Amino acid sequence: MEPLSSFFAVSVILLGIGIYGLMTKRNAIRILFSVELIYNAANLNIIAFARLRNPPIATGQVLVLFTIALAAMEAAVGLSIIILVSRLNAEIDLSKLSKLKG
Amino acid sequence: MTDLLFLAFAAVTIGAAILAIEARDLVYGAAALGIAFLGVAGLFFLLDAAYVGWFQIAVYIGAVVVLILFTVMLVGPRMGEAPLGLKRVSLLAAILVSLLLGMTGALANATAFPGQDSCGSGCDLYLLSTSLLKNYGVQLEFVSLVMAAAVIGALALSKTDRGQ
Repeated sequence: MEPLSSFFAVSVILLGIGIYGLMTKRNAIRILFSVELIYNAANLNIIAFARLRNPPIATGQVLVLFTIALAAMEAAVGLSIIILVSRLNAEIDLSKLSKLKG
Repeated sequence: MTDLLFLAFAAVTIGAAILAIEARDLVYGAAALGIAFLGVAGLFFLLDAAYVGWFQIAVYIGAVVVLILFTVMLVGPRMGEAPLGLKRVSLLAAILVSLLLGMTGALANATAFPGQDSCGSGCDLYLLSTSLLKNYGVQLEFVSLVMAAAVIGALALSKTDRGQ
């Protein structure tokens, strides 16, 4: 089996791609992509660390099941907000939305 | 064999993730995101977490990617595609992310986490399901509650006052 470090490397690279997307993109759907990638990086990290323990316990996998469910809900609510914003503003470019600006 | 599988899954995951962020068309981006999720599910399989891998495929590819595609169609695939014009921010972000990766690589110790043996009966579905229902039953119920709240919230958001 591969050393677990390689899984952590994949996780860090995914996190980096997600942070890059969060910083550079202004499209709301694209930012949601980045958030999902960061979720996946975290999940991969948790599963790999849970694998490290000997004898194995299932807590890490249970935690990731909860995380996946919560991420799916977050995507559902976020996408419905995006649909609402696009209906109200004909625009989902986050740098041009200033309705909540103080 | 496992090494080859790992390399394939890792390459697919990272390449598809970059494509998801950088693809011009949001539909292609969503498809690439689905492929990246599939690669992560493959890595879960390699980590002896088969059930989590199937859950990932069912929830992420079956629900989230389809939802994103639906939203892209509804919002209009052309929307939000204007060229960014923020080259400086892109450069700064690239430098920061490279710093993050480089620092992690410098701090990493490749032999700190050696390969584990196959965990045999320890990683099976029986252990996972007993742990899920016996030790984390309350949390499971809370997740269900949050899920119901999210569904109701999404419904309330999408219901605009069309009558006026």
